[in-house]
Amino acid sequence: MSSPQEFHYRLSRRMGGQRPGSHGGMSLGAGLEFATHMSLFDRPDPRRLDIRASVRAVREEWLVRVNRQRAGIAVHAVIDVSTSMHFGAQKSKLDVAADFVEALGMSAFRVGDVFGMLAFDSIARDDLYAPARLSRGSGIEMANKLRECTGSAGNITGLEQVVAQLAGRQALVFLVSDFHWPLARLGPILEMMSHAFVVPVVVWDEAETQPPDRDAIAPLRDLETGATGTLWLRPSYKKRWRDAVTARRAELDDFFESRSMRAFYMQGAFDADAMSRYFFEAAA
Amino acid sequence: MSGFELEHPWLLLLLPLALLPLLRRRRDALGYSYLPWLPTDRLGRVAGFFGTAFAVTAMATIVVALAGPGQPESYVSRTGRGAEILVLMDRSRSMDLRMMPSDWRSIDPIIRTHQAWARGPQKSKTARDLLSKFIDERADDRFALMFFSGGPLPAVPFTQRDSLLQAGITAAGIGVGLNETNVGRALTAAIREFDERPYSGSRIILLVSDGGAHLDAATQATVASGLARNRIALYWLYLRSINSPPLDVEDPRTEMAPEIALHRFFQGLRTPYRAYQAEVPEDFERAVADVGKQQNAPLDYLEQIPRRDYSRYFYGAAAFSCLMLLIYRALQLRSWT
Repeated sequence: MSSPQEFHYRLSRRMGGQRPGSHGGMSLGAGLEFATHMSLFDRPDPRRLDIRASVRAVREEWLVRVNRQRAGIAVHAVIDVSTSMHFGAQKSKLDVAADFVEALGMSAFRVGDVFGMLAFDSIARDDLYAPARLSRGSGIEMANKLRECTGSAGNITGLEQVVAQLAGRQALVFLVSDFHWPLARLGPILEMMSHAFVVPVVVWDEAETQPPDRDAIAPLRDLETGATGTLWLRPSYKKRWRDAVTARRAELDDFFESRSMRAFYMQGAFDADAMSRYFFEAAA
Repeated sequence: MSGFELEHPWLLLLLPLALLPLLRRRRDALGYSYLPWLPTDRLGRVAGFFGTAFAVTAMATIVVALAGPGQPESYVSRTGRGAEILVLMDRSRSMDLRMMPSDWRSIDPIIRTHQAWARGPQKSKTARDLLSKFIDERADDRFALMFFSGGPLPAVPFTQRDSLLQAGITAAGIGVGLNETNVGRALTAAIREFDERPYSGSRIILLVSDGGAHLDAATQATVASGLARNRIALYWLYLRSINSPPLDVEDPRTEMAPEIALHRFFQGLRTPYRAYQAEVPEDFERAVADVGKQQNAPLDYLEQIPRRDYSRYFYGAAAFSCLMLLIYRALQLRSWT
């Protein structure tokens, strides 16, 4: 296994938080970013006395420069470990998600953000929960846990339970799932995380989105419900298959766009450069 | 004619095995993460249905075929007219000899014996041809076929089925003859064939032979009383060989020849007796006509219809289903990669 890829993320908005870090923060403190002047009596820090500003001040008082402090944020990965995530032709989608978690853990540690993980299938998976903390190996540990876990049939109720822990927090949340559920209940869930910066990470597999090349009869079994169905893969049907995938993608895009988010698609493998680009575009 | 039976009905206990393909947890189905995503495919559903149907059919028909279905052995009552004729045919080695040529007087006596093996048709062949012609012409009669050599060899019991008899006669031509001729035992056995049968009309034993025998007194008595008891007429189709005397000769020197002795014994019977010589074509026609003169009462008798086995139809259906399954399997997608 190759070493985890690293990506850069930055946020377009300021986050609260007292812990120094690398993101634009809202708290005042030691930083390079000028915020305001305050009276020396209010902020008795003579090292930051701004003589020029004091001289110009209308009210004759000593003014002190106050800067904003760069803040460290909390990064949470919310991972869907349901049965459908174990599907994958070359590599299961959950393995791809684990690669991503590993890369995220490393990237978060490099910039000094605490990183935690929450997992769900039909319920919140407390056994896979990892509290947000600053630790070099935490990403690897979480990824290994993900690679070994088994899941039951997925359900959006599980996501509801998990997100309740993040409700109202300021954080960067990666919502990693294949989004194989109806979107109707996803809206309220995203609203619970309105203080956080949510990145929906859509993990799909090549076998799901691309019909096989050869024409064949394909007896299929739904991994979650056990329902069976048989498809006759022929050119006309393959076209309908691709159309269905395109339609679903459009539906997801519309849904997230209406909540000023942009989904990040992963297919077959995690591409760190694409993730960096995603954040550059989002911050621009 | 109807009816259905199973040879091993308990094998039907395996029939629930045919439901195996209907189980939902099928190994051959490929896992997919979220089926509702894919558009429904009616053609695919039909293909899937046929795949399952052929699998169920294959297993069910194999089980049923193993259980051995068939129409049970039955008896049909038939009404027969005409004579009951038991053909008693000689299978001895001498029957493999050639027929006596009609121009035998002009042949040098020195090579005549040699010609007995080499020239002309075999006696048994001639006899068989005559017999099958005879059976053809007497469609209404019931025939039985018995061969004899050292002892009687019953071949076909009384029946009106020509094909069966012709097959029996053809079978007489297989291989070479056996090496004894015991007319006495054969006649006794032939007479015994009639013992258990209700009397329905003329009964004839048609002895097809080329040689005779001196019968001892006990056998002569048995034969004579048996023929009388069962009211059987005896016809002798005589196939003359070289150095054998013709039956109708009045020469005291031939009196000791077995053929003539037998002929004399038959002539002394109280029951009807006729002799025909095969080399005289008119004699054959006379034989046919003689049989035709007999008066016969219609007779109801039961004929056995052998068991008919239906399992091969089921095996055929199973083989067809398996072939379709093979095609289905060849078309099937077995992995995503």
